[in-house]
Amino acid sequence: MSQPGESPYVIIVGGGKLGFHLAKHLIDRDFEVTVIEKDPVRAEWIEHHLGPDTVMVGDGDEMAFLATTGIERARFVVGVTGDDEDNLIACQLAKVKFNVPRTIARVNNPGNVQVFKALGIDVAVSATELLMGLIEAELGGADTVRGVAVRSSGAAFVDLALPDVSDKIGKRLADISLPEGDMVVCVVRAGKPVIPRPDLLVEPNDELIIYSQLLDVEAMRETLAGS
Amino acid sequence: MKVVILGCGRVGARLARQLDAEGHKVAIIDERMAAFDRLGRDFKGEMVLGNGIDEGVLRRAGIESADCFAAVTNGDNRNLMASQIAKRIFGVRRVITRLYDPIRQEVYDDLGLESFCPTTLGADLVRNYFLNGVNIGRTVVPDPAAARRFS
Repeated sequence: MSQPGESPYVIIVGGGKLGFHLAKHLIDRDFEVTVIEKDPVRAEWIEHHLGPDTVMVGDGDEMAFLATTGIERARFVVGVTGDDEDNLIACQLAKVKFNVPRTIARVNNPGNVQVFKALGIDVAVSATELLMGLIEAELGGADTVRGVAVRSSGAAFVDLALPDVSDKIGKRLADISLPEGDMVVCVVRAGKPVIPRPDLLVEPNDELIIYSQLLDVEAMRETLAGS
Repeated sequence: MKVVILGCGRVGARLARQLDAEGHKVAIIDERMAAFDRLGRDFKGEMVLGNGIDEGVLRRAGIESADCFAAVTNGDNRNLMASQIAKRIFGVRRVITRLYDPIRQEVYDDLGLESFCPTTLGADLVRNYFLNGVNIGRTVVPDPAAARRFS
């Protein structure tokens, strides 16, 4: 096992497929990783594949147990069990009781993304939401892809196609008022990036890449569609 | 008073029946239809089928206008999550959470979440009876539904 402080220490709560592969990749990149898994049989399987000292059997939401994992020196705690409530509580404990700087949670019910943020989780990732966005974008219908989460703020980039019917077409970018904290960081026109100068006129079929804190896609759509 | 209860087990159902019989507006949530059988035929409140850690389900139960919320499912984490949604997102004034794990109770005390722990309560009751010969675990508040049955 690597010396404390040498490489970033990551605790992964939940040793399912996602937890296992995440751990594997992190270990390949020289992170120090502990997977927390409830099921001893599964834990043994993980240890067999990832090597000794990579997994501990226990509950990621159990204070006394967490205290034995070296959590106070963890840079990240990642909750990837199949249950939203378990991911939330594990991340909250890490944050509140052990001062872990970054908590990342898998969200199974996309409706919980906003809830997790409101309850103090740094980054909430919904595979459902990501896949929906990709499929919708692929089908060309509407219009949204949520992208990478931003490290320091937990915001994300959202790729939003301008609706066909929009009273914003022909308007200056500066005149489109997005929710506070949101900002157009790039315009994609005919597949090429364009710098979003304030006086850039919006054209049909433009895609806007928006840095968004709120991630309120509905509000953005309404703004872009106009009244 | 408008009350939303999450979990129609023994505690949830009893609480719902009591408050309903006292004339309060009660909505109770459970994900198993059969759980509502516990409420009996007299129950006039609302039964909401669904997962209590879903904003949509909580809205259907009228959480936005609720004065009180109790999370009494069998899952500590589920209770904790639902209670935090009720308190922090919907601003419900009185929110209480059942937690079987005393350590978790300590943690969430610090976060300002009101809770009770049947584990410590039970142990204290038994200990008190052994040491003092007094059983303070008898029903403190009479159950009006039960009272009516026996009168």
